[in-house]
Amino acid sequence: MDIFTIVFWTIAILLTVISLIKDKKKTFAAMKKSKGMMGNMLGEIIAIIFIIGLVLTFIPPETIKSVLGSANTFVATFVSALAGSITLIPAFVAFPLVGSLVKVGASIVPAVAFLTTLTMVGIVTFPLEKKEFGTKFALTRNVLSFGFAIVIALTMGVIL
Amino acid sequence: MKIVSLIKKNKLIFLVALTYITVLTISPDKAMASVKNSVYYLIEMVQVLPVIFLFTVVIEALVPKEMIMRGFGEKSGFKGNLLALLLGSISAGPIYAAFPISKTLLGKGASISNIVIILSAWAVIKVPMLANEAKFLGVNFMIVRWVLTVIAIFVMAYITGMIVKKKDLPIDLNKTKMLEIKDDYCIGCGLCVKMLPEYYEMNNDKAAVIKTPEGKEVLQGIQETVEKCPSKAIILNKGAQAS
Repeated sequence: MDIFTIVFWTIAILLTVISLIKDKKKTFAAMKKSKGMMGNMLGEIIAIIFIIGLVLTFIPPETIKSVLGSANTFVATFVSALAGSITLIPAFVAFPLVGSLVKVGASIVPAVAFLTTLTMVGIVTFPLEKKEFGTKFALTRNVLSFGFAIVIALTMGVIL
Repeated sequence: MKIVSLIKKNKLIFLVALTYITVLTISPDKAMASVKNSVYYLIEMVQVLPVIFLFTVVIEALVPKEMIMRGFGEKSGFKGNLLALLLGSISAGPIYAAFPISKTLLGKGASISNIVIILSAWAVIKVPMLANEAKFLGVNFMIVRWVLTVIAIFVMAYITGMIVKKKDLPIDLNKTKMLEIKDDYCIGCGLCVKMLPEYYEMNNDKAAVIKTPEGKEVLQGIQETVEKCPSKAIILNKGAQAS
């Protein structure tokens, strides 16, 4: 556990104790409600995690690297944004990977597109998002995020 | 029949299990590698989800609805957007961890725009991640990407707020509503507005509920409007909690 997670655990436990002291009945009622809500999500979250495992096996970071570094910047940007939407690789793998590419002279535009869609667009988490917030919300948010990821990437290409 | 409904309810899990079985028969190595890859995320989930659970409990139990509405509601304005950005940025864990918290906030009156900001900031902006980015790609790169991302998040929030309305969200988010008007039935006669202007208003030729009723006398008045409504469009859920 990193320091941030530990801090969050501490804050959460502290607040829960305060809540219990302040209003025991209300807190237990809230626990019951949250348990129901999160219980419904848990199965899907576990399913999603195993999908991530599959995706990582069939689209390993090396493949992504070759996509990011391909010659045609325009095509590479689009494909990189797509790759970022599908995969969910940990940030501590993604940054060194992209960093090593940029260092050897690859264009930063596909790199930024990839980094941004990696976290903001989630094709894998889409079913859960759709179930919890509705199709219209999930679709709008993910499509907009994809579009803006490309805008951010192109803008960075101009600025840097 | 029971099995069918069980599968229908857990479609995703069965689909994933089926995929794993298929991969296992074709290429056991790949299946094992996939399981191994998943373990990292499972550990992350175990570390983060209990905290998220506690936070949703605390929000539900401790934070009054008015506070959420003031902080993150439709009328919270730019200050609400900044607050949402801050909340999303100081968070921990992957984007799915933001779903329960966002849902709890939505149920307590947060606006859709602010939920988009929380979800997006939760996904992209994290202090340990920013440090990592600066280390591998340079401070300039990190700062420029951060600024552009924040701008994009705000623009996205406004666009989503315009496209998606609360009625587009799943029903269970709205079911705590005590009093509601079925838009499809309302004929816009304005009778309820005349009877109780404090609780109803006309909106695009349809009546709308503007306040959650509380107290016995008020409920009686509401009940009267329910009965008088010529198209029976007003629904009063007495069982729903006002909180």
